[in-house]
Amino acid sequence: MNAIEIQSLKKTYHGGEEALKGIDLNIPKGSFFGLLGPNGAGKTTTIGILTGLINKSSGMTKIMNYDTIRDFKITRKLIGLSPQEINLDVFFSIKEILTFHAGYYGIKKKIAKENTNLVLNKLGLYHKRNSKARELSGGMKRRVQIAKALVHDPPILILDEPTAGVDIELRHMLWNYLKEINKEGKTILLTTHYIEEAEKLCDNIAIINKGKIITCGSTTNIIKEKSNNIIEIKLESLDNIDFNLDYDFKLDHSSSSIIIKSKTVHKDINFIINYFKDKSKIIDVKVINGSLEDAFLKLTADKNE
Amino acid sequence: MNSTGFWTFTRREIYRFLVLYNQTIIPGLLSSLLYIIVFGTTLGSRIELDNGIEYINFIIPGLTMMSVLNQAYQNSASSIMQGKYLKFIEDILILPLSGFQISSGYIIGGTIRGLISGIGIIVICIILTDFTVHNYPMTLFYLIIVSWTFSAFGVIVGVFAKTWDAVGSFSNFIILPMTFLGGVFYSLDMLPPFWRNISYFNPIYWMINGLRYSSLGFAETSPSMSFIVCISFCLIFNFIATLLFTTGYKIKS
Repeated sequence: MNAIEIQSLKKTYHGGEEALKGIDLNIPKGSFFGLLGPNGAGKTTTIGILTGLINKSSGMTKIMNYDTIRDFKITRKLIGLSPQEINLDVFFSIKEILTFHAGYYGIKKKIAKENTNLVLNKLGLYHKRNSKARELSGGMKRRVQIAKALVHDPPILILDEPTAGVDIELRHMLWNYLKEINKEGKTILLTTHYIEEAEKLCDNIAIINKGKIITCGSTTNIIKEKSNNIIEIKLESLDNIDFNLDYDFKLDHSSSSIIIKSKTVHKDINFIINYFKDKSKIIDVKVINGSLEDAFLKLTADKNE
Repeated sequence: MNSTGFWTFTRREIYRFLVLYNQTIIPGLLSSLLYIIVFGTTLGSRIELDNGIEYINFIIPGLTMMSVLNQAYQNSASSIMQGKYLKFIEDILILPLSGFQISSGYIIGGTIRGLISGIGIIVICIILTDFTVHNYPMTLFYLIIVSWTFSAFGVIVGVFAKTWDAVGSFSNFIILPMTFLGGVFYSLDMLPPFWRNISYFNPIYWMINGLRYSSLGFAETSPSMSFIVCISFCLIFNFIATLLFTTGYKIKS
């Protein structure tokens, strides 16, 4: 079953800007899904439509098989949103904000209080429960945003840039927590500018650019198919290497090293080493595995051309 | 239906102005008290009305209404503006609540604030002057209906306003002149016929007239017309406020 289903979704803003040009996306229940793309690609618009913040122009969006327009009272209860910009109520303490928030989603006061204490503890904020938002650090405010999304215990969590401006230690703490709740069964839709974050956390990924999904699939497959591994061979001398010859692989060089891009590094490496050891003495061989960042840059660059 | 969600949201709206009571409740009561002292006590003894009512008693319903409608308007308009300015209105727009429930939550918050202010002024006046209330249920009705109407108006302005100045401008350039020209401090009998006829088109005049009738047992003009005007404006503003939150006009992209 899909937790989120999007079909032919289009959005044109007043003024004619076409933010989404008919996207299709299925996010399986229980998955940790990354929606990646450059600034202005359509990520936040997609999330806005799913949560009810933005009106779509056409297309269909479903949460757990419920239509987000017709059955909005059901679908909105199924989602917890942590938006990109910090938007904490300034009048109340953190505890009050969270208890109110759970109540908005129909959680009775007693359970709302229990849920509040639970998420505050999980996110290391319990000691700040009586503080107001303006008294918190940036990282704490970010955690309160996530707590707000979790306090009504929704099965789907939508996180729009959840670790923006957060220090590395806290980022790792959040990653571990998100992995833990994903294992417990929550479906997570994550958008982030930190590609490394998506690579570490997401089992499936879609890359969106200029309002279109340009690729979608498992993170491992996207890295394998769309990025190159790099073999860097340091030679004693490059004098005997003819860079103008037509090689089977892409060849580049720095002052003393040959840089070869290859998708099938394990197959090619023996051939490459044998080939170059006849030309010069090999000093060092380094293999750098392809990353999601390579794939992302390649895909978004291709589409920008 | 999510009645828990609706009541939690409404409770939040009420709690918001109660937490800030020294910015929301106290100033309204204080300024009304000053009006009563300055206009009623010092000038009142020099002004005689044709209808035989003491001037200080005559202005109390008008002053009460002035405070009620201002408080109700300010509450919902500023709550929405703060939400828009600090972006936490997004939390409200994604709730599993209908447009009717969201607008009603804001409106009830403003209505309660207006009502607290109105009841507070009347209680102070009963204590400090010889003012008495002629018909308590009808007085309560007018306080609620006018508070509800201007709270709904505040929701509409809050949704449309892009800046705090716009909210203040509506209050300073529309509500305040209409209130002063609505017979708070004078009887329409004191006006020349032309201005008297103009005043009949001012809905706030009819609202004050309604409260004057219910609290003093005296009406300058038709009490039935006051009732009709109050109900009509309440329904119209309530409908528009609900429509704005149902369609997301000006608040959703």
